[in-house]
Amino acid sequence: MMTTRTIEKVTKPGTPHFVGDGFRVHNFIPGTSTMQRMDPFIMLDYNSKYNFPATNSPKGVGVHPHRGFETVTIAYKGRVEHNDSAGGGGVIGEGDVQWMTAASGVLHKEYHETEWSKTGGEFQMVQLWVNLPAKDKMSEPKYQAIVSKEISKIDLPNSAGAIEIIAGEYKGTKGAASTFSPINMFNLKLNKGGKTELSFPSNYTTAILMVEGEAIINGVTRAAEDHFIMFSNDGESFTVEAASDAIILVLSGEPLNEPIAAHGPFVMNTKEELVEAFQDFNTGKFGYLEG
Amino acid sequence: MLPNFKRHLIEKGGLSETQFQQVEPFLKTRMVAKGDFLLQQGDICNHSFFVEQGVLRFYALNKEGKENILQFATENWIVSDRGSVFFQEPSTYYIDAVEDTLTVMLDDDFMSEVAKVNPNFRAQNERLLQNHIRHLYKRISQLLGATAKERYLDFVNMYPDIMLRVPQWMIASYLGITPESLSRVRKALAKENFNSDLF
Repeated sequence: MMTTRTIEKVTKPGTPHFVGDGFRVHNFIPGTSTMQRMDPFIMLDYNSKYNFPATNSPKGVGVHPHRGFETVTIAYKGRVEHNDSAGGGGVIGEGDVQWMTAASGVLHKEYHETEWSKTGGEFQMVQLWVNLPAKDKMSEPKYQAIVSKEISKIDLPNSAGAIEIIAGEYKGTKGAASTFSPINMFNLKLNKGGKTELSFPSNYTTAILMVEGEAIINGVTRAAEDHFIMFSNDGESFTVEAASDAIILVLSGEPLNEPIAAHGPFVMNTKEELVEAFQDFNTGKFGYLEG
Repeated sequence: MLPNFKRHLIEKGGLSETQFQQVEPFLKTRMVAKGDFLLQQGDICNHSFFVEQGVLRFYALNKEGKENILQFATENWIVSDRGSVFFQEPSTYYIDAVEDTLTVMLDDDFMSEVAKVNPNFRAQNERLLQNHIRHLYKRISQLLGATAKERYLDFVNMYPDIMLRVPQWMIASYLGITPESLSRVRKALAKENFNSDLF
């Protein structure tokens, strides 16, 4: 018998800030709670729908390093181009996901795609950092470009909608992304009135982001658009009923339960490893990427 | 709450926790927005600026209007035009904020209050000044004789996180090299230290 997983906290989007000049984001992790509480999800920035005007010089974030975790960019609207010092790169657009394993270290840059920038338009994305287990932090960097058509889609009964499985597993169907620890990442697309139940082991850190529309959670709590809902660890299952057509990002992952030492773009286990990360970055061990 | 400044006074200034509480009411702070000035040419500088949070830079403009950066101050660093403060003469320098910065404004009045509660403080402060002079000697010697790579490596060793906070051209200005030259140094280091067939 599954027990109900209750809501721990509903967070409304706070004052947005710009990352570089191309991402206007609301921070939900660690803003909502600490990295330790949200383990293994250590950062979540949400660019809610925002209109970028047309420009010939693409906006974005210049060359910067990462070490010790993975960056996951989920594109809902707009197009982003990425390049990194490990030779990874590509463009992601609506429905696509870019899963970059920074691991031992990469330099990368992210800009609105040149062609998209020329017309501009509505832009909506999520950037998430997924922590790596200590044993994998210094592994080789890699890059998974997951295009929309590779993402498994399961239709829900009673025309409730569909679930797209970016990572993890839903009723036997596996997600497209490979992960280093158990992570479930779904886009739940519900039609108005559509209802479903989701279930994850109770110890998994679990949250949803209301990307589009509104829903009622566990039959009682209203989750408005652009809100972030963090669940407790008191049960497995929760229900979601769409009050309007809705797109909901579902995150659930097994906590790594390892020490976190974080500073800027480096997330390691000890302070010494952080110092080493800065030294390695400064002395070219992350490679080189033209700005 | 000024955790960095408190630690500075206790560890570098030799104050006890109680002595810090005694001088706390005399502390003056200022928030400086990115791009705003704490000192401009022609002003008389009346303070030393301790950086609690943020980044300041101290620079001169040459006749062509080019900025020559003498010093960066990140958390726990002190920056000032000491000549202008001591001799009460107009400064020929600028100090502005590279990031939004919280500074503690140190002046004679504050130093006297600290010395009242801890007579050893003046000697400790003298030690910091001598350390600063030692650092300046090293910097002049490097500008005269070290390679761009040596200057860069010494710089990032001293300010480990600065490459992430300050634009490249400012770092090149501090090192006394062109931005292109800095880029070459970093590319050569990557080639030397990064195991990849990308080069």
